[in-house]
Amino acid sequence: MLEIKDLHVNVFGKEILKGLSLKVPPGEVHAIMGPNGAGKSTTSYTLAGRAGYEVTGGQIDLFGEDITGLSPEERAAKGIFLAFQYPLEIPGVSTMNFLKTAMNAQAKLRGEKELDAAQFLRIVRAAAKELNISEDMLKRPLNVGFSGGEKKRNETLQMALLKPKLAILDEMDSGLDIDALKLVAEGVNKLRAPDRSFLVITHYQRLLDYIQPDVIHILSGGKIVLSGDKSLALQLEENGYDAVINKAA
Amino acid sequence: MGKVVSLDNLLASMEARRTDVAPWLGALLGEAGEKFAHLGLPNRRVEAWRYSDLAKALHESVKLEADADAPPEFPGACLAAFENGVLVDKLSSYCAMGAISLRKALAQQDPAVAAHIGKINPQQDHPIVNLNTALMEEGLVLHVPRDVTMATPLHLRFNWSDVETQGDDGRHLRLLVVLEEGASATIFESHDGAPSFATIVSEFRLAANSSLRHIRLENFAAAARQTAVTLAEIGEKATYRGFYLSQGGHFARHEALLKLAGEQSFAEMDGAYLVADKRHCDNTTVVTHAAPNTASKQTFRGVLAGAGRGVYQGCVQVEQAAQKTDAKQLSRALLLSHRAEIVTKPELEIFADDVKCSHGATAGELDANALFFLRARGIPEAQARALLVEAFLAEALDTIGDEVLRAPAAEMVRKWLARHAGEASHVE
Ligand SMILES: Nc1ncnc2c1ncn2[C@@H]1O[C@H](COP(=O)(O)OP(=O)(O)OP(=O)(O)O)[C@@H](O)[C@H]1O
Ligand SMILES: [Mg+2]
Repeated sequence: MLEIKDLHVNVFGKEILKGLSLKVPPGEVHAIMGPNGAGKSTTSYTLAGRAGYEVTGGQIDLFGEDITGLSPEERAAKGIFLAFQYPLEIPGVSTMNFLKTAMNAQAKLRGEKELDAAQFLRIVRAAAKELNISEDMLKRPLNVGFSGGEKKRNETLQMALLKPKLAILDEMDSGLDIDALKLVAEGVNKLRAPDRSFLVITHYQRLLDYIQPDVIHILSGGKIVLSGDKSLALQLEENGYDAVINKAA
Repeated sequence: MGKVVSLDNLLASMEARRTDVAPWLGALLGEAGEKFAHLGLPNRRVEAWRYSDLAKALHESVKLEADADAPPEFPGACLAAFENGVLVDKLSSYCAMGAISLRKALAQQDPAVAAHIGKINPQQDHPIVNLNTALMEEGLVLHVPRDVTMATPLHLRFNWSDVETQGDDGRHLRLLVVLEEGASATIFESHDGAPSFATIVSEFRLAANSSLRHIRLENFAAAARQTAVTLAEIGEKATYRGFYLSQGGHFARHEALLKLAGEQSFAEMDGAYLVADKRHCDNTTVVTHAAPNTASKQTFRGVLAGAGRGVYQGCVQVEQAAQKTDAKQLSRALLLSHRAEIVTKPELEIFADDVKCSHGATAGELDANALFFLRARGIPEAQARALLVEAFLAEALDTIGDEVLRAPAAEMVRKWLARHAGEASHVE
C-alpha cells in the first residue's frame, strides 16, 4: 500500500523530516506517536501534497508508484485522505455543497459516474446520522462556528463518504469528549477493510484502545526511531518518550 | 474603434440643446452647461477622479469585440427599454406603472419634474451631473403616490449594441423617481453592451416612511465607457437599499451620493465588482448624514483578475446636526492576479460628537490553507479557486434576499466565475 523510503522534507528552507522510512501494508492500521514538533503533521501534509513541503530526498510509493510529483487533488483521487489536525473553516460554502463537490470531483478524476442529487442526499444523510451530525450542521458553512468535536466528526464524515485507500488521521482525538471519541473511532473501525490502510497520529494511548493498531511507530527528530506492537503505547504512557527512546537506543 | 468624444462636441451640443426650450428649462440647462464648460471633463488632477481619469479614457481607442451578453430578462417587471441611449416605447411597458418618458415630461412641463429635477441632493460642482443636466432629454420619470406599493419592479434596461447610433457627444440619460410618503418601489437596472460614452444620472426622492430597493447590474462589454451617478435624498424613517454589481468596462464608474435628510432614515449599500482583463471599475460613495439618528451601512467586495483595476472611494460625512449617527463601511478585495490592482480610499468627515462610525478595508489573495483543504479533498485547483471566490461573493448576493431579484445577479456572477475564477496568481 504505502511505502515511504528515506524521506527528507524541507519546510520553508528548514529540514524537518530527516530520513523517514515507513511501510504500511494493505488492511493495516499503523499509529504514529511522538513528541510535539517531531514532524508528525509535516509527514501528513507531505503525504497529502501540500505546497511548501519540499521533498529533497527519498520517495513516497503508493501502490508501488511514486506520488511525490502529484498535486493534492491527484493524490486524493488515488485514495489518500488527510483528516486535518485543525480542520478549516470556509465561510460561504455550505457543508452539503462542499461534500457534493468533493465526491463528484473525485468520481470524475477516477473516471467514475457522478451521483445524482437523490442518491447523494440519501448517502450523506445515512452517514451523517451514524456520526450524530445534524441536518442543520450540513446546511451551515463548512466548519464555521462548529465546535472542536463537531469539526472532527465532520472530518470523519468526509472520510466515510470519500472512501479512501489510505486515511491519515492527524490527532483525530484531540478536543473530543468520550462519546465523540467513540463515535469517531467506530466510524474508523467500520471503514477497516483488507484494501484500506490507516495512519493514525496521536499523543494518547486511549485512542488506540478504540482503534487497535497493528504497529506503533515513534517519530522523533524527523525520523522513525522505534516501531513495535501495541505494548509500545503503554510503555510510553508510563515512562514518557525520552526513557523509551533512550532505552531502545 | 470607438467614437472620440471631445469637449468641443459636448459644448456645441449643449448650445443646440438649449434653443427652443421653455424658459425654466433653458435656465436649468444653461446654468449646468456653463458649470460644465468651466469644470471640463474630469481628469486625474481632480481629486475625486484621481484614480479614474475619464478625460484620458475618452481619448483612448477601444477595440469593439462581439463579447456582449444578451440583457437579462425580467419576467413580471415593467420594462423601460433603452436601446443605444434611446427609450424605445414599442419594447417597453413602463406606462403600466404610471411612469412617463422624460422627453414627454419636459415637453408637458410636468410640475413634478420642474419641482425636483436637479434639486435632489444637488451637486453644484459635479462635472458629470452638470454635463448630464445640460444635455438631458432622454430618460424616465416615475412618481409613486402616497402609501402606494408598486407591485412589480421597474426594469430599466440599458442596452448598448451599436456604437454608430450613439452620437459623437455620447448619450446622457436622466431618471427621476419620487416616492411620496409611505410609498415603496423596486428598481432594477441592467446595463449591457458597450456605450461609447454614456452618463446616467438618477435622482431619487424618498419622502417620509417610503422605501426603495435599487438593484444595478453592470454587465458591460470590454469597450464600455460610462459614468453613472445615483443621487438620493432620504426622508424621515425612509429606507434606501442598494445592491450594485459590476464587471467594469473600459471605464465604468458608479457614484452613489446619498443624503440621509430625515431622522431615523437608513441607507444600505452592498456592492460587488468583478474586474478582469484590462477593465476598470470605480465605485464611489458619499453618504451624508444630515439628521439625527440616521444609519448607513455599506459593504463592497471586489474580485480582481488579470490586469483588472478596481477603485472604491467611500466617504461618510456627518453634519453637526446628525447626532447618534451610526455609519459602517467595509471594503474587501480579493486579488487573483499580481497584475490586478485595487485602490481603496475611505474618508470620514465628522462634525457631530455623538456618533458611531467604523470602516475597514482588506485586500489579499485567496486563502492558501482553504485552497489546500479543498484540493486535498479531490477538488481540482481551478474549481477550488472558483468555489472560494463564489463563496466570497455569495455573502454579497445573499443580501438581495428576494430570489427573483437575486437570480440575474447570481447568473452574472456564475458566468464571470466560469470565465475568470480559475485564474491562478502564481502562473502569471
Ligand atoms: N511553516 C513552518 N515554518 C517553519 N517551521 C515549521 C513550519 N511548519 C512546521 N514547522 C516546524 O516543523 C516542526 C515539526 O512540526 P509538526 O507540525 O510536523 O510537528 P508535530 O509532530 O505534528 O507536532 P504536534 O504534536 O505539536 O502536532 C516543528 O519544529 C515546527 O515548528
Ligand atoms: Mg501535529
